[in-house]
Amino acid sequence: MNKEVFDIEHIYFDNNSETKDQVFERFASVAFKQGYVKSKEDYLKGLHQREDEVTTGFKDGIAIPHCKNSTVIKPGVFLIKLSNPIEWNSLDGKPIKVAFGLAIPEDGNAQHLKILSSIARKLIDNEFVNMLLEEDDTEKLYNIVSSIEIK
Amino acid sequence: MSKKIVAVTACAAGIAHAYMAAESLEKAAKEMGYDIKVETNGTIGAENVLTKEDIEDSDVAIIAADINVELVRFTGKKIYQTKSIEAIKDSKVLINTALESGEIFGKKGTKVGDITLGKTKEDGVIKHLMNGISYMIPMCIAAGLILAIANVFAFQKDELGRIVNWGFDTSTTMGFFMSKMFQVGQVGFKLMIPLFAGFVAKSIGDRPAIAPAMIGAYIVNDPEILGTEAGSGFIGAIIVAFIVGYMIKGLKKIKWPKILQPLVPIMILPLIATFAISVIVLFVIGKPIAGIMNGLYDGLTYLNNTHASAPIIMGAIIGAMIGFDLGGPVNKTALIFGTTIFTDTVAKYGIQQANFVPGTAAQAAISVAPLGVWLATILFKDKFTSTEKVSANAAFAMGMVGVTEGAIPFVASEPVKMIVANVAGSAVAGALVAKFGCKFYGGIGSPLGTIVGYIEQPIPIITWVFSISVGVLVTALIIGFSRKKVEG
Repeated sequence: MNKEVFDIEHIYFDNNSETKDQVFERFASVAFKQGYVKSKEDYLKGLHQREDEVTTGFKDGIAIPHCKNSTVIKPGVFLIKLSNPIEWNSLDGKPIKVAFGLAIPEDGNAQHLKILSSIARKLIDNEFVNMLLEEDDTEKLYNIVSSIEIK
Repeated sequence: MSKKIVAVTACAAGIAHAYMAAESLEKAAKEMGYDIKVETNGTIGAENVLTKEDIEDSDVAIIAADINVELVRFTGKKIYQTKSIEAIKDSKVLINTALESGEIFGKKGTKVGDITLGKTKEDGVIKHLMNGISYMIPMCIAAGLILAIANVFAFQKDELGRIVNWGFDTSTTMGFFMSKMFQVGQVGFKLMIPLFAGFVAKSIGDRPAIAPAMIGAYIVNDPEILGTEAGSGFIGAIIVAFIVGYMIKGLKKIKWPKILQPLVPIMILPLIATFAISVIVLFVIGKPIAGIMNGLYDGLTYLNNTHASAPIIMGAIIGAMIGFDLGGPVNKTALIFGTTIFTDTVAKYGIQQANFVPGTAAQAAISVAPLGVWLATILFKDKFTSTEKVSANAAFAMGMVGVTEGAIPFVASEPVKMIVANVAGSAVAGALVAKFGCKFYGGIGSPLGTIVGYIEQPIPIITWVFSISVGVLVTALIIGFSRKKVEG
């Protein structure tokens, strides 16, 4: 997998956040610090807007907070493990334990964007989701995500 | 049996929901033993694009999209539209629902929001009225054309060709013959009202309702029997038909003695209803309706004679209604109104002073939407997909013979823009024919009507075609400018 899109530094454990808003806040600053967005505020606003349109909380504790926004510099994937289960208005009503944060530029490298959509596809796979939920080792998490077949 | 399913998924960000929905659908279909092909419309562009054959062979097309996707290609196929999130939630349920309750795209009766295109509700008031109209139209055309032709011979000209008098010169053979033909036409117009009422009532109460409704409608339209200045025309006939229709429906529910039962539909029901409706018309509703209608038509004529803009406004409103739902209830209401005003004013004032405005405007507007769509695909080639162009050619063929429904697939896929464009163009066409004083006697309502029909117009053939063309151009330009380029 392309390291520009997903690298081991993109995996972090959020032990403090107790609400969705706090998760967004932390994610936006990480994305900003690592140089994926021009403005943290604009990106944060975009995340909230997207969430208002449709929930990004899916089933079995997985969420994909994301937005397509002009403030995004390049496509990026971030894996956030949450210590506190977060109420997310998810499809099955369950709280969220793992979040994939996506930074989506308005115009980006098609191959890189495909990595993002392939990860989204993979989240339908129960086995994959269970591995993410159970694994707490950064290195192993990185290997799991990196092994996703890009299609 | 294995089913073939095609699907299109799309979402606003174009990265997450569309692809999860696609994966979800693929997984569910596999588990259910169905064939599936899912096209994803994402930020990368459309992938795994459905081919013509894919769509042709499919049992249902599932559109799980939060943004507009190109739907015209599904015309004539069963489709089911929903949001991407529904596929992610439970694709198996979605597939079953789609197979059960998917609807043919672009057919008459397609719904966009609360508007039904091309079709009126089953068993509604409009349906009954349209039944009456459909039986009446052949008589309207036959009588109208004979009247129109005879009318030409009634203009007496001097040596310089100026019209000096209206009236048949019965001293010549031709004049005598045409004066008789004129009467024949008038008989048609007189019969039209009871014929119409009879078939409206039949639509409600079936066969026993025809006789009482025809007799009642004849009386309500006959000033001599009513003892009024004028008959109450169409509105009277509609009221009579509905009273009779529902009266028969009610009478049928009575448990008649077994011995009488064979006589009920052919004798008892018509007899009771005829007696009842005659009394109602003669002593209750006949005079008031006639009075109101008389006032209404006098008022309308007065308006048309004193305000030059009145017919233009009327023409624009009728045109707009025709373009609004393409054969749906609003469109049909405008058609009924046009026919009503025309036939009633012919009966009341004679063909010379009849009010042609709403009827003519309706006929001019009828082909604007389908032709406008077609012209848009010609003028803005890069803004339409190839399947849309094929559909537009079909719309052209339908539009040329006055079938407004050809535009339905386009409206169904982009309701707001298309309705705005159609209403604007149709209103322009309606207003222009009214402004130029075109008079539509009979024939088909489309540009071809100028040849296949009889339309009185300032410049023969040209005025009619010109007015419609301007409307078509307005519709085409609005469609074109409001669309984005199709990415090749």
